Amino acid sequence: MVTSNCIQDVSFPDCESSHVGKLCLQLNCKSDCIHVLRSVVAVMTARAGMAELQSNRVAIAVDELFANIAAHAYNGKPGRVEFETCIDGNVEGCQELIFDFRDYAAVRWTGNLEEATTHAPSDESLCPGGLGLRLICSVADRCEHEVCTDGNRWRLIFNINDGAS
Amino acid sequence: MDTSLKFERTDEDDNHVLLRLHGDVTIHTSPRLREQLKPLLNASTREIRVALEHVDFMDSSGIATLVEGLQWARLTGGRFVLSGLSENVRDVFELAKLDTVFEIEGNSA
Repeated sequence: MVTSNCIQDVSFPDCESSHVGKLCLQLNCKSDCIHVLRSVVAVMTARAGMAELQSNRVAIAVDELFANIAAHAYNGKPGRVEFETCIDGNVEGCQELIFDFRDYAAVRWTGNLEEATTHAPSDESLCPGGLGLRLICSVADRCEHEVCTDGNRWRLIFNINDGAS
Repeated sequence: MDTSLKFERTDEDDNHVLLRLHGDVTIHTSPRLREQLKPLLNASTREIRVALEHVDFMDSSGIATLVEGLQWARLTGGRFVLSGLSENVRDVFELAKLDTVFEIEGNSA
């Protein structure tokens, strides 16, 4: 059990030193938890053998998703977020780096992931908002969202050994 | 992870300003970048150059703050120029599909 300002619990459900071991954090959702996630991302991308540019991309996506949950789901107020990450094989036998986020916010996200991926800003549509989701969808090989009865579930998946984006 | 962001402002003349950033531009630090830029975004300024050679990491909040500068340029006819982007920072602009929207000069190397 680890207690800090933002981490409520941490565990290694499988083998701690294994590449397929799962790391779970229960966070008190505040934007200053991002430094914790950044450290976790650094460890996992190193384990995945990703280059610096790829690691930076993964860090961007994880940062942005967590910031979105903090800002929009919890409206800037502290709230519970379960965070899990692992390296695992998919049905085709390829290795994937996976990040799962589960929040318990009253706000259910109802946006369109496909639109966020394909939308390119033009001079006319230039605006500061919506950049985070565009970055997430640009970087992750897959971004999945599920509306739960008591919150949201997000999954970011990065293929390993093919550029991670 | 660098949580600090420092600024070095050079007023090249009355209406040309160079703002050099040192550190990461994130959700924590971008409000301070906005504070630095806001007084410059007026009709008397003709050109704002933001030097990013000492920035290794920038997230969407940093880009969004710079978009405000770009909007100022579009509105007033001024120039808003970014320079010295590291590989990581340039990559983020490309991922956001904003690398062709901003006026970007040179690399940090």
